[in-house]
Amino acid sequence: MNTTTRLAAGLPDAVHETQHAFRAALDALARPGQIRRIGAPLPGVALGGAMARLLLTLCDDETPVWLQSGDPALQSWLRFHTGATLADSPMLAGFAIMTEIGRAPALADFAVGTAAAPEFSSTLLIELPALEGGPALDWSGPGIEVMQGVRLQGLPADFWTQWQANQASFPQGVDIIFTCDEHAIGLPRTTQVGRTGGV
Amino acid sequence: MTSNTSTQYFSERQAWLAVLARASRIELEAKLELANESLLTLQRVRPAEVGMLMLRGRVGGTGNPFNLGEASVVRCAVRLGNGPLGVAYALGRDKRRAELAAVFDALLQDPQHHDDLQSKLIEPLATAQSQARDQLQGEVATSKVEFFTLVRGDA
Repeated sequence: MNTTTRLAAGLPDAVHETQHAFRAALDALARPGQIRRIGAPLPGVALGGAMARLLLTLCDDETPVWLQSGDPALQSWLRFHTGATLADSPMLAGFAIMTEIGRAPALADFAVGTAAAPEFSSTLLIELPALEGGPALDWSGPGIEVMQGVRLQGLPADFWTQWQANQASFPQGVDIIFTCDEHAIGLPRTTQVGRTGGV
Repeated sequence: MTSNTSTQYFSERQAWLAVLARASRIELEAKLELANESLLTLQRVRPAEVGMLMLRGRVGGTGNPFNLGEASVVRCAVRLGNGPLGVAYALGRDKRRAELAAVFDALLQDPQHHDDLQSKLIEPLATAQSQARDQLQGEVATSKVEFFTLVRGDA
């Protein structure tokens, strides 16, 4: 009789490792476009190291999590270690976890908060194939001195059009943390994105 | 597996978890030899951690629930090799105690070790615990006071 399907372990030293990951996530959002290291992958968890650690750091019983993948092992892992509930739809998500951005809902489908309470918006954690080597884009805005060149890989063609709309709806809108394996890049709703050398 | 046997399984497990939760660290440590070889493959799925929980009670056992107060509690989840997940909750802040109880829970779910542990660990502990409870109840019973409302003669 084995009702538990190989539940993977959490962080061995939860206090210090979540503090480290939280600080890195804070830095990533304060300095949009700069790559931060979050930490090594966790054994038995079907997520990159950065994504898994951010989930354990950010989620608790007050943050409904929307998972793009329906992997039951992942769901029970998340619920066991964080106590987070699973959101039924993206609109209800405190955090949305996406591992296949090409097949993900549009940014407008997530919670954007209200004008009076813009903090009630979803934060999107998106796993990408690579944080470097993609099409060159210039990011600018708060936290960036002049321009920050970023070359994210694997985003769908209309993603940045959606982002323009998201950015324009400030103070409402979603914030994004892109992850790849052990690293992360923050994209807060204040950041403007344009093609390098024009537009 | 039918729901009947599964209900039975859960109540059995509830019973041994209750015994483990009340057992002292010394009692558990003394029986650790029963687990010896399995400990080599110990994996801490959730390392022992201390937290608080709110105890609630009902006045007279039937009234509205009220918050009695907070208690510190320690919990732990472990796995031995590829076996089932062992969990433990215990009052107090003794992390080692919760870890030992979780190890024994994992072993008790393993058919290979179940009978051995049930007879050498759980049954003696359960007997000792119920004896201690009976003794305490016996001591307290002598001071029990019953209140009656007497009907007045002029009623």
